[in-house]
Order: sequence, then C-alpha cells, then structure tokens
Amino acid sequence: MTMHRRHFITAGAALSALPLLPRVAPAQATFAPKPSGWRSFQVVTRLEIANAGGKAQAWIPIPSVNEADWFKSNDSKWTSNGKASLKRDPKYNASFVHVEWDETHKAGTIEVTSNVSAQDRAIDLSKPGKAQALSDADRKLYTSATALIPTDGIVKATSDKIVAGAKTDIEKAQKIYDWVVENTYRNAKTRGCGIGDIAAMLTSGSLNGKCADLNALYVGLARAAGLPARDVYGIRVMPSKFGYKSLGAGSENITKAQHCRAEVYLNDFGWVPVDPADVRKVILEEPPANLQINDPKVVAARKALFGSWEGNWLAYNFAHDINLPGAKGPTLEFLMYPQAETVAGRLDCLDPDTFRYSITAKEVNV
Amino acid sequence: MPFRRAPAGRGVFHRFLAAAALVSLALGASAAHATPEGARHDNDKPRRVLAAWHGATPQPFQLNGIDNASLSLADVRTDIVIVHFFATWCEPCRDELPSLRRLVERSDPAQLRVISISVAEPAVRVRRFIEKLPVNFPILLDDDRAVSKSWNVSALPTTFILDRNHNRRLFVERDYDWDQVDARQLLGSIDR
Repeated sequence: MTMHRRHFITAGAALSALPLLPRVAPAQATFAPKPSGWRSFQVVTRLEIANAGGKAQAWIPIPSVNEADWFKSNDSKWTSNGKASLKRDPKYNASFVHVEWDETHKAGTIEVTSNVSAQDRAIDLSKPGKAQALSDADRKLYTSATALIPTDGIVKATSDKIVAGAKTDIEKAQKIYDWVVENTYRNAKTRGCGIGDIAAMLTSGSLNGKCADLNALYVGLARAAGLPARDVYGIRVMPSKFGYKSLGAGSENITKAQHCRAEVYLNDFGWVPVDPADVRKVILEEPPANLQINDPKVVAARKALFGSWEGNWLAYNFAHDINLPGAKGPTLEFLMYPQAETVAGRLDCLDPDTFRYSITAKEVNV
Repeated sequence: MPFRRAPAGRGVFHRFLAAAALVSLALGASAAHATPEGARHDNDKPRRVLAAWHGATPQPFQLNGIDNASLSLADVRTDIVIVHFFATWCEPCRDELPSLRRLVERSDPAQLRVISISVAEPAVRVRRFIEKLPVNFPILLDDDRAVSKSWNVSALPTTFILDRNHNRRLFVERDYDWDQVDARQLLGSIDR
C-alpha cells in the first residue's frame, strides 16, 4: 500500500488529536432480567358479538399459571348479559370463562377482569442442584406429543442431529436453543402468533413464523430429545424496562400483543425459561430493524433468553389440543385468543376488529 | 449447524419419479439465499417436482365448502383431479392459489378439476382470505384435519394428482408453480 504524503499528514493530525476526543464506548446493550420484586397488573378483556342471528357462545382464557418464583394468577371476575361460568381444561388446568347467549340477545357482551402478579425470572445456570423434582405425571405430559408437536419422525430425526455429541441435558437444551435461533426467522406476514405445526415446518423447510411456531419448534425438538418442555401461552402487558421495544407491549391496548414463551425442565435446575422466538423478534423488529445476529442488542437478548425472561408478560396456560365445552368447531391447538361461535360457525380469533374484542392492561398497586 | 430438510420417513411416499418425461415438470432449484442476519430464507428451497405418488389409497371424502355446499370426491370424475391442501397462514399458499386458478382457466373443465382443502381454519377466516384472492375452484373445509390426516399431509401446501378413477398418480409436498404445466402435459405424465 502506498500512502500519499498529504493523506499521511492528515492521518497524522487526526492521530495526534485522538487524546483530546471523548472515548467512544463500544456499542452495548443490556437485557438482563433478574427477580427484583413483584409487579401487579390488571387485564380487561371485552368481547361483543353483535347480530349473531341466533345462539352464540364465547370462551375467554383467564390466567391459570401459578409459579412461586415468577407468576401468580390472582382473581378473575366477569360481567356479561349472557350465561357465564368458569371452566377448566382437565388435562392442563387451563381456565377460561364460557359464556352462552340465547337467540334473544342482539348484542352479546362480556367483560373479564383478571389480576395477576409477575416478576422477572432468572435461573443461575452455573449453580446446579436445587431443583424441585418433576412428578412422573408431569414428566410424561411434557415429553408427550401433541396434535401439532409430534416427537417422532422428522422431529426426532432433526433433534437427534442437533443434540449429537451433547453429554448433559443442559448442553442438549442449549444446542436446541442455538439451533432454533440460528436456523429460523420471524416472518412478519404470519398471522397472529402462528399455528405451531412443527412437522410441517421441518418437512417443508419453511422454518419461519412467530412465537407459536418457533417456540413450539423448540418444545418439540426438546421433547424429542427426552427433555420435558412446554409452551407457555400468554400476552405482553407492559413495555420492557430494558428499552427493547420489540419485547414489550406498546400501549395499554394489548389486543394483539399475545406472546407464547417456552420452558425446558432440567433435573439440576427445574423449569428453565427459554424464548428463542423473541431473539428472532429482536433481530427482525428492534430498531432500526433487521439487525445482524451479532448486533449487541441481539447478543444480549440471546444470552438472557436462555435462562431468564422479563416479568412484563402474563401467562395464561400451558395447554394444547383443547376441546372447548359446547363448541361445534374443531379442537384448538392452543388457547391464547378469545374464541367465539355463532350459528355461522367459529369466528376468526385473529381478527379482533370484526370479531370485536379488545384487551387492555394496566399496572396496579396492591 | 444448519442442515437441509431431513427425510420425512414416510417410505415409498417420498420416492421421486426419475422418468425423463417428468423432468419437464420439475422446477429448477432457486438460488440459495440468506437473510441479512444469516438465517436461511424461504428462497432457499429444495427442488420442487411432481413426484410419483405411491402412498396408501386416498380416502374418499365429503366436505362442506366455504359456500356451505358439500362436495364429494367421488363425484369428481375428470381425467385429472388435483386435490390441493392449504392454509391461510401458509405464505407460499398465497402465491400458489392464483397459479392454480390460471391452470384451471386454461384447462378444459371436462378434463381437469381442482379441489382445494383448507386445513383446520374457521370458515369465516378462509372466506375473507378468498375474497381477496378469488379462485375458480371449490374451497372445502377440513375443520378437524380428518382428511389431511387420512391423506398423510405433513406439510402445507401439499397437492395430489389423481386420474379419472382416482388412482394415485403424482404429488408435491411444497408449493408448485402451476404456470409451467398444462392439462395436456399432466395427462401425458399420468397416462404413462
């Protein structure tokens, strides 16, 4: 390389000026949830079915998760001009309000108010050995296949390749996490949170979607590797205190803020939070958007979301394959959105403007 | 550790036809393409071909359509019967449906019919989807996946081609560009 004399002088002048300039800190990002106190939230779901043309009914999920370290489902109350009652899915204990309106109602309405408490969650993965044992029944439940999460065939074959060489459960869990982060992407065009048909994703090679796709993929691959794992279906209620716009609710109106996370059970640590889908969300959406995988914001989120998550989110349930009581429509893959049926059949839960439901959240002092 | 799709493990169901006649029905592989952040993108697709279909005899079905009319496969007796499984959430399906519509437009209705089956979605959602993407063939509703399960559909979209007697002929387990074929070509392939 030859250097022109004039350029050399300029460069020299710049070098000599360096000590006078403020030091530019390397780009950093912080995303480090740690348990630091409970926060309480009130979430209100309002639903209206106008001009149903006959009988109508709806099912509204209510928070049903109670985990001592990070989430409390407190009371849920409702008012309705229909006949409403609390129901529970027998397999996963997922609760929901079932409301029925007869032909006389021109506009069926229901408003469900739920109070919850949540805090950040972090597992110290360097300190094994303090886990509460998983019951045999839960181990069986959370390693079993569901309708859209098979644990054999292409899921098992893919999982086997991913965890090959891993000697411990935590290594397997981490390898699967890394594989999902590195081999999938969030697809902005996916409606709702996706459907979670993981065998279809793997068979077609279309490894994209949203949380119900990408985190279900994690759950299926983990189960196929023999690790208990489960989806946790919920909704974001507050902004992220770490400044991540993509990882929090944008306003009090959280009607479209549904988000499911995942957990994997490791004998030495208990249930460990994981959220590879949110790593892909940071990559796609965190300003200025379309970040590189080695962007500091992505690196920080990726590191944190294996072992911790932020308590700005409400957990509804862990349920799959739910048969709604009284429903004419098909079994639900998961219950994260309000559901309703009229004489015309099941309404589109992903279209809250025509289905007419809204969900709002606020923080409350208890 | 990115790796390509693993075999679906459905045995003969996945045997591809090597016959030269079918080469003309194959799409060239798209150039590999990575997203800026390095994840594999959908453009990085495996080669798409109409493959010989050796699976189990397809179960007959009768389903309601989004227009509330019932349709039975047994009543569809054209030389070529295309049964197409899709979902509104499936992005490639949105491109494939217009391509199927154009195939129907340039085909003799006595020779070729398309039946599309929406898998496990509420009718109202499918109706609204089709309003924006009109098609010229029936859209049936497989609410509870009973038909897609009995046809061993493991990815969407998936399309099967039957002959007049509903014998298994060809299938493709991904989206397919129907603009590259016509009824005569398809008939030539399945008559072999």
